Amino acid sequence: MSLWTRCVARLESDLPPQQFNTWIRPLQAVEAEDEILLLAPNRFVLDWVRNHYIAQIAEFLAGFCGGHPPRLLVEIGTRSSGPEGAKPTSFSSSVSGDDRGAKRRTNNTPTNLNRSFNFDTFVEGKSNQIARAASMQIGQNPGTAYNPLFIYGGVGLGKTHLMHAIGNLIQDCNPSARVVYLHSERFVAEMVKALQHNRIDDFKRHYRTVNALLIDDVQFFAGKERSQEEFFHTFNALFESQQQIILSSDRFPKEVSGLEERLRSRFGWGLTVAIEPPDLETRVAILQSKALQLKAELPSEVAFFIGKRIRSNIRELEGALRRVLANSQFTGKPITLDFAKEALRDMLVAQDKLVTIENIQKTVAEYFQIRTSDLLSGKRSRSIARPRQIAMTLAKELTSHSLPEIGNAFGGRDHTTVLYANRQIAKLREEDPRIAEDYTNLLRTLTS
Amino acid sequence: MTRQLPLAIEFRPSASFGTFFAGAKNQEAANSVQALTSGRGERYLYLWGRADVGKTHLLQAACGELHSAQQSVAYVPLAEAQDLAPEMLDGLEHMALICLDDLQAVSGDGAWEQAIFSLFNHCRDAGSRLLVAGNQPVAELPLGLADLQSRLTWGPAYHLASLSAGELPLALREMARHRRLELPAETAEYLLRRYPRDLRSLQGLLEHLDQTSLAAQRRLTVPFVREALQSLAHPAAHAPDRAAG
Repeated sequence: MSLWTRCVARLESDLPPQQFNTWIRPLQAVEAEDEILLLAPNRFVLDWVRNHYIAQIAEFLAGFCGGHPPRLLVEIGTRSSGPEGAKPTSFSSSVSGDDRGAKRRTNNTPTNLNRSFNFDTFVEGKSNQIARAASMQIGQNPGTAYNPLFIYGGVGLGKTHLMHAIGNLIQDCNPSARVVYLHSERFVAEMVKALQHNRIDDFKRHYRTVNALLIDDVQFFAGKERSQEEFFHTFNALFESQQQIILSSDRFPKEVSGLEERLRSRFGWGLTVAIEPPDLETRVAILQSKALQLKAELPSEVAFFIGKRIRSNIRELEGALRRVLANSQFTGKPITLDFAKEALRDMLVAQDKLVTIENIQKTVAEYFQIRTSDLLSGKRSRSIARPRQIAMTLAKELTSHSLPEIGNAFGGRDHTTVLYANRQIAKLREEDPRIAEDYTNLLRTLTS
Repeated sequence: MTRQLPLAIEFRPSASFGTFFAGAKNQEAANSVQALTSGRGERYLYLWGRADVGKTHLLQAACGELHSAQQSVAYVPLAEAQDLAPEMLDGLEHMALICLDDLQAVSGDGAWEQAIFSLFNHCRDAGSRLLVAGNQPVAELPLGLADLQSRLTWGPAYHLASLSAGELPLALREMARHRRLELPAETAEYLLRRYPRDLRSLQGLLEHLDQTSLAAQRRLTVPFVREALQSLAHPAAHAPDRAAG
């Protein structure tokens, strides 16, 4: 048993479990003959361990060695036994200078691309077909088709998937292309690190010489002026040398607040495409595609059940599917409709609790800045009647109440009024983009 | 007879999968956490349920299992966030497993939410495993950052439920057995009739009984337990600070 292992065993019996798990377990030891180097994952843990435990650790070591303990050092770093299949980040590996004794996170193929996010696994539907078509085209002709490509849409709708798919396609067409995907927040973190370590020139060179730069969630640049400035220059350098830039955000470029105007306007130079929440058929197709990827059989009635009940976003859909598959795997039972209902019971109860007719009325009234009582009143002016029809349609879509029950909850109206409202809103969503947008926004608010 | 003084070294069973009493309702959750730990299951799971249903136990069991296999692990008790800082999450993606406990404690705190969101992204890039626990389903947590909320729904979520009245005596006897104590069924029933029925308090009672029975060299019979616990005038007040679950 190594010295450190003995020390850990002693600490485990001496410290309350919470403290032991929080501060001792994350430490990794590199043991040499006359030295023990403890690696802490970050500065915070390092300082805490130094202030609270190092004396106790040194005392135990002295006790085990009979007065000639090895030298004890604590530094920031990580041993090589990290997560399996870990892909190092693109730039940070070369700027973390303080992990002496630990294996450096070197990196020769700094793409960060996830191979499983490709066009084959991206399910096309009405909600994303333009975004998908544009992305395909860019993947085949980077730097020339549309530059930059700006993809926007709500959380969990597949923006990141599409970005990876483009990156993978660029590399498939040209294996020597340098494609870098990263989250905007990582760009900021790496820049800060580069500044700290006087490596900002390396940082600039790294990002300004790639063939395709894919930055996810650019809204996180908001308020970070120095990063925005650096990104502005990176953007210009890549744009001028006709290298592809792909950006994503949860909103339209002009609406991303906290960004400098010069960046915002550049984001809109190329092509801007939206991804909308998927409709039922697409949700079902997504579930079936994911099940296929996971090599599982998913009966279509189960796919329809999950697709109907989980509408907010694709991540949640995938979470629900994984839950059903895991339960079936553990219990050895086949996936039937009843099995799926049982497996997702807690999830659906939680969701049902959130979406009630009252909640829909309140949300719709707030959205259109009218009173809830107006929705229940007999008023027939368009500024009241339209929100009322939208609220009725949402109640039909999001709750399991019957048409008469919905009519009743809206000031005692007849079920045919609810039916008419549903048809009317379906038609208007096709014809009037503002109504389509209002409906989508409300749906997102109520289900996320 | 001379009273034997208990040694200062007490036997404290650490949280492990073996010492988790899942009952009928929590077996699937426990299986999933175990599968994640062994690398056969998901890379991310969310566990939710009220206090004292075993969330912390499962998280610490997962940490313990990987740690003894020489893998790097991190456990972050967010309930203590007032003493911690979001920087505590920096670089944790290089660990094989990261456990975030009591997520509700930092819901609505912008800096923590942002740090957890970053950790999610980095973990995905790094391929590390993530286990998160909270007291409510993700949809009901008062999170300010929609992006974090959506990421949290990205894996299966499991509800951990309280043990049924019929399961409690079995759980209590199991807990005693892990302390190498033999707790007769009638004593377990006696304790459950008179003391708070949450596992944390029961762990505390067992700890007390462990000490007193050792000192008195007596078995845990009902008369002995009655006598031993007389000193605890207000049963409800005997709530130890040690986390049992």
